[in-house]
Amino acid sequence: MIQFSERKEQNDRLEEQIFFWKQEYQKPEMSKEQYHRLLARMEEAKKDKKKEQRKRQMTKYVAAAAVFLAAFIVVPNTSAKAAEAMGRLPVIGRLVEAVTFRNYTYESDRNMADIKVPKLQLGEQAGGQSAADKGQADGDGQQKLQSTTKEINAEIQKITDELVAEFEANLAYEGGYQDVVVDSEVLATAQDYFTLKLSCYQGAGSGYAWNYFYTINLHTGERLKLADLFQEGADYITPISDNIKKQMKEQMEADENITYWLDNEIEEWNFKKISEDVSFYLNEKGNVVICYNEGDVAPMYMGTVEFEIPAEAVNSIRK
Amino acid sequence: MGIFSGKKKGSNQALVEQVILENYQRYYRLAYGYVHHADDASDIVQNGAYKALKNCQSLKQPEYAATWVYRIMLNECFTCLRQPKHLSYEAVQEGNGAERGGREDHYMDVDLQRALDALDDKDRAIVMLKYFEDKKLEEIAQILDENLSTVKSRLYRCMKKLRGMLSEEDKNRIFSRQKQIIE
Repeated sequence: MIQFSERKEQNDRLEEQIFFWKQEYQKPEMSKEQYHRLLARMEEAKKDKKKEQRKRQMTKYVAAAAVFLAAFIVVPNTSAKAAEAMGRLPVIGRLVEAVTFRNYTYESDRNMADIKVPKLQLGEQAGGQSAADKGQADGDGQQKLQSTTKEINAEIQKITDELVAEFEANLAYEGGYQDVVVDSEVLATAQDYFTLKLSCYQGAGSGYAWNYFYTINLHTGERLKLADLFQEGADYITPISDNIKKQMKEQMEADENITYWLDNEIEEWNFKKISEDVSFYLNEKGNVVICYNEGDVAPMYMGTVEFEIPAEAVNSIRK
Repeated sequence: MGIFSGKKKGSNQALVEQVILENYQRYYRLAYGYVHHADDASDIVQNGAYKALKNCQSLKQPEYAATWVYRIMLNECFTCLRQPKHLSYEAVQEGNGAERGGREDHYMDVDLQRALDALDDKDRAIVMLKYFEDKKLEEIAQILDENLSTVKSRLYRCMKKLRGMLSEEDKNRIFSRQKQIIE
């Protein structure tokens, strides 16, 4: 009996003690400062996670992008001459070449920019007589070529300036993360054409990649429009659009991971036809390649997509 | 399908983030119960939060997000305890001497820290979650990845141990009082 009551007493005492322990237990609280450190660490986790994802994505978007991560230079390269010397690209177009005009790189904990601004310039052969002698471009064409490259350079400048301005504006916003990558390449194209592809990637939260294509007809010195490739008044929109739809269907049937917006329940997302000012270039075979940015005709994860239109689809109306 | 799995990943992150922000004080108290030190406890919560967010895509069942984060936090506590830099109870007592001295009167006979330190890692989690955070035994079993019956028997063992500590303390007190009277 004594033992039992003693035991009961002990139980009560333990309960009582736990009540006090609980109050004691609940006292420690994170300080404001510790809380802010926690928030910062959480942001870091999200950023690192994104960085890993981005590393995987990057190979998709810009082949050489992984290398950029190693850069710690914060000096925008303003010396055009030096940039030219470093960034001289192999000359593919005989008359026009692309050089790196300006580099803008920035890397900090939260911000990363690698913006390579290309500039088109006339190749040495295009410097007047020699080109004319070869019949590449006559005097008018030469002048036209000059004004066209100037125009394209101005457009590229505007695009990249805006991206840099946006990037710098975002630097002030301390809570955010951002990445901006701009690179360019001269595409292998049909003879007598020159195409520069400008690829842009902007990441903040989720990333977005898009491209610009600038194609010059080296004969006329003019910028090539899709309509220029076809006979006057011919309907090129329908055969090209139909061919793209066919390719989309085939690709989706062959691979379940591929999705295009074709029979989507959200009707307005569905691809119906190409627009007159759709991005395109001519590949080495001389075939038209239609290009879409992320999210234009497919879910974002599909990236930027291209459709090569086989010659036979448009042969009857090509010039 | 791809687009949906992409969305799911994003919501996992938001969910884990929300769980952390709702419960960080709880994790902090839990960590404090292990390390009895503000900076260490804060580090544990930070590291746990980092790991949880970074690896949130490995959380397969979103409904277990809260349990999952708790488990990560506990593992962080265990890791911290196993690090050589972790100080013994006595060393911490010494280091916190002045600070703790002022709070001594809040304790009853056995102070919380001593009681908790008498229990092994997992037992301590069971006691803290059950009695101080009012968690259900089922939930505790999930957090610790143990059978419910294991958790129950561990809890029983803990109670016995704590009870033993209390009666030991009582004996000492009676003894010292007698000693005072004799003197």
